[in-house]
Amino acid sequence: MRGVPRVARQMIELENVSKTYGGHAALSNVSLKVERGDMAFITGPSGAGKTTLFKLLYLAEKPDEGTITIAGCNAADLKSSSIPLVRRNIGVVFQDFKLLNNKTVYDNIALTLRIRGFMEREIKERVHSVLKMVNLRHKVDNYPLTLSGGEQQRITIARSIVGEPTVMLADEPTGNLDEENEKEIMRIFKQINTKGTTILIATHNRALYKNTARKVFFLEGGILKGEEE
Amino acid sequence: MFSLRLALQSVIKEKWMSLLSMLSIGVMLFILVSVAVIVYNVEKLTARLPERLTVMVILKDGVTSEENKAVLAAIKAEPTVKVVTFVSKEKALDELRRSLKKDDFILKGFADNPLFDSFDVKIKSEGVRVEDVKRLIQKIKSMKAVDDVEYGEALMDSVYALKSGLRALGLSIGIVFVCSVTFICYTTVKILFYRHKEEIEVYKLLGATRWFVRAPFFIEGSIIGIFGGVMGSGMLMGFYYYFLRKLVADIPMFAFMSIPVQFMYMLPAVGMLLGLGGSVLALGRLKY
Repeated sequence: MRGVPRVARQMIELENVSKTYGGHAALSNVSLKVERGDMAFITGPSGAGKTTLFKLLYLAEKPDEGTITIAGCNAADLKSSSIPLVRRNIGVVFQDFKLLNNKTVYDNIALTLRIRGFMEREIKERVHSVLKMVNLRHKVDNYPLTLSGGEQQRITIARSIVGEPTVMLADEPTGNLDEENEKEIMRIFKQINTKGTTILIATHNRALYKNTARKVFFLEGGILKGEEE
Repeated sequence: MFSLRLALQSVIKEKWMSLLSMLSIGVMLFILVSVAVIVYNVEKLTARLPERLTVMVILKDGVTSEENKAVLAAIKAEPTVKVVTFVSKEKALDELRRSLKKDDFILKGFADNPLFDSFDVKIKSEGVRVEDVKRLIQKIKSMKAVDDVEYGEALMDSVYALKSGLRALGLSIGIVFVCSVTFICYTTVKILFYRHKEEIEVYKLLGATRWFVRAPFFIEGSIIGIFGGVMGSGMLMGFYYYFLRKLVADIPMFAFMSIPVQFMYMLPAVGMLLGLGGSVLALGRLKY
């Protein structure tokens, strides 16, 4: 990508970021850093500002104040035409999956690559490879609504990593899942992380980050209350 | 290719809406082309009007044979003139007498021949406009030996007034129907866009560019326009086979009427352009 530095120590960096909606401060003066290859968590109660923070990180919104650097790009310097190209370096996983229910598992995952203009042969190889990683190769022709919640989330993860992003953002990825699926999802995230992808997971589930020896940011009322490792 | 596939899938998925839009576009393009056919035929008919009219140049009494020759040479030299024939007043009287048949007794009241020497001027059949004929007549009238010039001025003027009126009407109808077809495509594409809004949100999250998001809708609008045009061509063909051909066979007066085959090929192309235009307008100001 032109103008995007390939090597940057900080993959995610927020400096004094604030965001207000109709007079209500969703984020106030938030600063945090996640280094290349790290897996970090951001936690806090509902309404703490986690989703707002993610919207800013995947460039769906702009901050009122402060600077955001993601995947080596300063969000303030980006033209609107460059945003799609930066997003190709960011994999996003949502609690509600955001899968296209009228498309098969294969087409949902392949979409990421079709958007980038990959040839069908390479798409096929890559889709089967990520499906193997999330243990769902046998579901390639299924439609999302025929899958369980855990399986749908694994497909969402597969879709977000098939393009080999440098950063992955997961907003409450285990929010609707049982303990077994939770463990499976976390296993996949760790496996992705070992390959060098920087991961930031938003969750209010303590069990996800407890005893992980990973960086955890505590957010409350839009203010970063602390950080621990 | 992927955009084309998405567009085709959407047309098939929303088949009733697409079909209704195509049908509406087809009917409108058919009306539009029918007006064009009428204007085309009137143009064709009136283009040969000057050729059908004979201009009669009446010479003054007592014109010498030198003056007569000079007028003949001047008229013959005109590029719009095909044939010039001298008609002496004696020959004119004979012709009049023949045309009056039994009623030729009315000529007995005249002691002398009341008619004049004249020239019958035939106009060329190709490339002569009414303005050229009018200019020629003015020129002949200004000649010293010429007393008057007679031609079907009133007929020609009313036919040409009708022709310009029809042209203006055709143009107005054309503009209204072009706007209507564009509007149908605009509305269809806008509805389809809102129906795919969630899908488009996902595309954006995965890094789709504006062009990637828009291309399927542009293609879809064009497809609807093309098929609308094909339907319009079908209706025109039906009109020709089931109406115009029978009309010409029953009433020979309409034998001059025809439909240029290019109109049938042109309709799908016109439909495509209007469909594409409608799609561009529909997505042009949307922010996403």
